Amino acid sequence: MSLPNYDELAAGYEMPSLTKEPIEQVQLVRYAGASGDFNPIHTVPEKAKAAGLDGTIAHGMLVMGMLGQAISSWAGIKNIKAYNVTFKAMTKPGDVLTAKGTFKKKYEKEGEKLADFKVWIEDQNGEVKVDGKTTIKF
Amino acid sequence: MLNFDYEGKEFPPFKFLVERCKIKELCMAIGDNNPLFFDKDYAISQGYKDTPAPMTFPTVMNFWGNQDLWSTMQLIGLDTTRLLHAKEDYQYLDVIYPGDELVGTFSVDSMKDVGGMEMVTFKSVFTREGKEVLIAKMTVVVVNQE
Repeated sequence: MSLPNYDELAAGYEMPSLTKEPIEQVQLVRYAGASGDFNPIHTVPEKAKAAGLDGTIAHGMLVMGMLGQAISSWAGIKNIKAYNVTFKAMTKPGDVLTAKGTFKKKYEKEGEKLADFKVWIEDQNGEVKVDGKTTIKF
Repeated sequence: MLNFDYEGKEFPPFKFLVERCKIKELCMAIGDNNPLFFDKDYAISQGYKDTPAPMTFPTVMNFWGNQDLWSTMQLIGLDTTRLLHAKEDYQYLDVIYPGDELVGTFSVDSMKDVGGMEMVTFKSVFTREGKEVLIAKMTVVVVNQE
């Protein structure tokens, strides 16, 4: 996958979507170690329940990372100028997430050709977990 | 209760060495098998000098680099047992590579308490050889029960 031609980039362009394997509890343990975020609501069911949840929930940053995977698989790393998200809903083990993106606008700034894309990730029921924006240099 | 004296406060800088294995470990946890992050020769063929750090690697830089992250949140008055992550924002100023020696500076960007909802934005600025390579902002909220 690669970026489209800047001149042809127009409304209606969609980033290639990416559907992930179901989230597994052991993946949350693994993500805790990888990221260094050991908040037990992600890994210890009793602690999650004590915090008022039904069970463990995925790290928001893991979900942002999966959406980032879809973006960098398509656009690489060196052309990405910015990436920001809002966390909208909790993700639980078993959820199947699909990352998507659409073109928003293109513009020139300080001699660079840039484009903004709306990006989001949703579950098997269409519930949006994370949405945001990424800015890419062409 | 938030202590608003900390608004704008900058904490002592911390060092973070970008290790190749931490890049792989993060990608494996995410389930991202892009060879760009695993295979140096492939990365070079794509115009990189080595396997770059992935888009959400700054979370590793913050949690592993800034060991005082949780205690700092508690220090300013956040109840970390009821913390929710609201927003995350990255500005990439240069590609980060294995072996990079980064210096991170963590500060309290803004603090709000609106109708019992506490919202704090933290800012981390990372430099390499004195030049900024990444700016990260993290917004967390605590909703107080009445």
